[in-house]
Order: sequence, then C-alpha cells, then structure tokens
Amino acid sequence: MTTDHGLRESRLVYYADNMDQIDRVLGEFLRRAGARSAYLIDRDGHLITHVGEAGNVDPDTISALVAGSFAATKAMAKLLGEQEFSALFHQGERDNIQLSLVGGRAILTVLFDDSTTLGMVRLYTSDAVRKLGELFAKSKAGATASSEIDPAYGTNVDRALDDLFKDAKP
Amino acid sequence: MVQINFARKEINCKLVYYGPGLSGKTTNLEMVHAKTPDAHKGELTSISTDGDRTLFFDFMPLDLGEIAGMKTKFHLYTVPGQVYYNSTRKLVLLGADGVIFVADSSRAKLEDNKVSLDNLRENLAEMGKEFGKFPVVFQWNKRDMPDAMSPEELAKELNVVGAPAFEGIASRGEGVFQTLKALSKIVLASINSTDGGMSQGPDPVKAPTAKSAPAAKPVAAAAPAQKPAAPATPAPAVAASGGLQIERNNIGSGVKPAATTAASAGPPPARPDARPSMVAAAKAPSAAGGLSIERNETPPPAAPSTPRPALAAATSAPSRAPEPSRSAPAAAVEAPRQSESGSTQDVSDLMKKTVSASDARSSARMDDVFRREVKVIGGKLGPTAGSTSNKNSAVVAVIAVVAVALGAALAFFFLK
Repeated sequence: MTTDHGLRESRLVYYADNMDQIDRVLGEFLRRAGARSAYLIDRDGHLITHVGEAGNVDPDTISALVAGSFAATKAMAKLLGEQEFSALFHQGERDNIQLSLVGGRAILTVLFDDSTTLGMVRLYTSDAVRKLGELFAKSKAGATASSEIDPAYGTNVDRALDDLFKDAKP
Repeated sequence: MVQINFARKEINCKLVYYGPGLSGKTTNLEMVHAKTPDAHKGELTSISTDGDRTLFFDFMPLDLGEIAGMKTKFHLYTVPGQVYYNSTRKLVLLGADGVIFVADSSRAKLEDNKVSLDNLRENLAEMGKEFGKFPVVFQWNKRDMPDAMSPEELAKELNVVGAPAFEGIASRGEGVFQTLKALSKIVLASINSTDGGMSQGPDPVKAPTAKSAPAAKPVAAAAPAQKPAAPATPAPAVAASGGLQIERNNIGSGVKPAATTAASAGPPPARPDARPSMVAAAKAPSAAGGLSIERNETPPPAAPSTPRPALAAATSAPSRAPEPSRSAPAAAVEAPRQSESGSTQDVSDLMKKTVSASDARSSARMDDVFRREVKVIGGKLGPTAGSTSNKNSAVVAVIAVVAVALGAALAFFFLK
C-alpha cells in the first residue's frame, strides 16, 4: 500500500486536479445564478474550496457554523422520520444563504443578495450539485494523484508546535 | 476526520474539548485564544445561552502556519457539558480527530466526570470509534480547588486507558497549552499513517494501563521539550514512509516520563479498552528528533471496523445526466408545469441545452435573457412551491382525462 493510497483510503483528501474542476463548476454556477460567493464545505466543517467574493466572512468560522447547522438539521429531520433535509435556506434583510447537500459528503453554501433571486439560485444550484456529485464520484473512481506530503512534515510540525506553544512551559 | 487539501495546500484537523458541565472547556478555549498571537488565530465564536453556558459549541481556528508546504490548521471546538445536551454534543463530536477531556479535579465532581466520560465512550462507539484507540488527552483541571483529588486518584478513576494527562488551572492558563500540544502531536502524527490513524488502526497489543502503573501521573511539570534535529535530514524511517512515521510507543515521550514504569509494569490488566500507545514508554526522540512516532507492535492485518470515506466515498452522483441538445428556448416556458421535484432540474436542463446551442459569446447574453425569464419561474419555485405543486397536479389530471377520452374515441372509431 503506497502512502498515497493510504491517504486516499483513510482521509478526506482533495487533489489539485479535482479542485480545478470543482472551481470551474462553482465559477460557472456563480456567473449564471448571479450569487456573490460559493463555499464548498465538508460535513466535518472544513472548507474544501471557495469561489467568489471573500468579503469579511471568515471561511473557517462559516464552515464550522454551516456544518453545525446542517448537522443539527439532520437530527431534526430524523426526528420527523426523514433521512435528512437536503437543502436549507437562511434569509436575511440583505444577504441570504442557501445550503445544499452534495453527494452526502459536502455542503454547497451559496451567499447571495438581492441582485438575484432565491429561485434563480435554487435553479442553478441543482445543476451545480449534480455536476459536483459526478466529480466526486469520478474522483473516487481513481484519479492517480502524485501529491504527497513532504517527508519533512513530521519533523517540521514538531518545531512549529513548539514555536506556537512556547508559552507551554514544562 | 483530518482533511488534506493538496489544492489549497492545507491540512485541517478537528479537536474537541469534552467534559462535564462547568469543568473549564470554554475557559481552556478562551485562554488559548487570549494567548495565541493574532496571526495564528481566528475569531472565537460561541453559541451559548444568555447565561454564557455553551449551548451548541464554541469554535476557534488555530493556524499552525505553513509546514513543509502545507498550511496546518486546528479547528478547536468545545461541547456543551450538561447531560441533557447530548444530542448537540454528538453533533460536535462528529468528525473529530482527537479529544481533550477536561475533568474537574474536585472530589465532589468525580461522579460528573465519570458520567461525562461514559458518555464520550458511548458517543464515540455510536460513530464506530473505539475509545481506547481514539486520540484522547486528559486535563485534570481546577487543581486549585480545596477538595481536589490527587492526579493519581483521578487517573485511577478516569484514565483507564492510560492516555497522556496534565494538571491544569485553566482560568490562569496553566496546563492549557501543554494539553493542547500533546493532543496536536498525536493527531498530526497519525496523518500519514496508512491505517487511517489511531481511530482506525490495527488493534494494538494491549499494554499496561494506569491501573497498574503511574502512567497517568500528571506530567506538566516534567515534560522535556523535544529538540528537533535539522529538519532537512529526517529520520530514515520518516523518509522511507514518504511522510510521517507512526511510532506509537513514542507518543508519550517528552510528555510522560513516568511511562517507563508503565511499560515495565508487567502484563496489562484485562481491560477491553486498554491502549498501549498512550501509556507508552518514554523513549528518546527519534533520530530526526521531530514528531516521529513509530509502532513497535506488530499490527494485525485486521481491517478497520469503520473505514473512513475518502473524498468521494460517500458521494453518489445523481443518475440523471442530461445530454445537451438543441431544444427550442421557448420550451423553458413549460418548465414550471413539470412536477415539483423535477421542475427546477428540468428548467435548469433546458437552460443548459439552450445555452449549449449557442456559442460562448451569445451564451452570456442568453443567460441574461433567461435570468429575466427564470426570475419569474424562480418566484414560483421558491416560496410558492406548494401552490405550484397543486397546479401541476390539476394539469396532470386534465391531461389524463383528455387522454382517456381520446383513447375511448379512437376505440369507438375502430370498432365501428
């Protein structure tokens, strides 16, 4: 078993090739739907990729909150006998967020304002979700990725931890 | 679940502070936030009650910086400690890569600690993870309480797996970073392991637990810092693996000097959740001196009980894959008449077909045209989707009646 194989089997691993395609799909989606930005977030709350305006939104924080929100909604769905709710919509005075489940693993988070409509966003979201699902499936089918973590990572991470936690006196 | 994003050159890990209510989980996080340089931290977000009790979770991203070309981030969460918030606690625990169990040292809180620990064990089991193999670090918090139990007592009562343990007074920042650093090391060490890390690794050989050894003795006052050697010359084992090498018996080195005693304490007590890695003998750091953790037990070939899905493991592409064709744009007008579930998709398909019939230049223009059209459609698909469904049902019924009437007429004609 190669290291790379091990990574692919046991981790959430995203490679540059896949990501280029994902970004293209999201870019096209934003253009057509007229939305401001799109975040693809995995269900553990980690950001996979982001396309569009960054604004003042901290991507890590919104990823954690979106994942939490989606997880809570799934729990509610189960109480109602549903497997899960595949889409969520948060409406604000100016900005809105539409969340859609992608292939059971990721959440497409779309930020949009009144320059477009919810219907417009929903319309093109379904198409984007389908395309992203296909990309994920294709990725699983086995793109050969040459990416690996640098062997020096193990040693350097120790030093980085020491630096960051230098206040941690023994 | 650790996320390795080669495209963004990022490694993201999720660490969760667990423990009974008011044991100091949020205080730990606040202290980490307060003492971490701005460049390395994000905003501290709390979803809490009016009384400042954690309702869902507290969250802060901690940026370790770029390491060997990969930006490494920890996402730190706390769970609500109160017993009746278990449903939200489970949600936060989902996908965690490691847990810091913050125990209240007060003797009066021992039962609360036990209940919370049992709850952690149950919740992990529900997620297909075994407590004895999951990365956990204990913090004996509130050491300044007058009725504080000794670390040995706490270890005997709570740390049955012999995980690393630290004394702490989180409100003063004592022991906060040591605890976090210990867990960070364990989690990062598992990143490149081919078995998917400790939560899924082969069943390790059972080793002495805290019951028979002072392995869980608090070590905050005795942790020698590991001094990494030149990073350009990693240990051979590290290089051979093309990444991090897991040496399980070295995990505790530097943070658990007492563990040597543990390793020599004879056969382990028969506990199903005993974990050797955390009680491991204190060994000298590897030649690389870095985060080199190597397994010294023979891993059985057993497959992980709950394999983690890779990127697309849980994905399933929709079966529909509409082929672009040169349909008439006017067909879009019919889109709202489709069934509710398919209407959005169908309109989308029609849009796509239409756009694909044009060249790239006209595509943008047509998008604008259709945006105007679809805004109307979108309005129906949105808040009024329910009434659209009723209309669709009526249309289908009318079509069915007409079809039956036509059929009858044709039959009558042919019979005649």
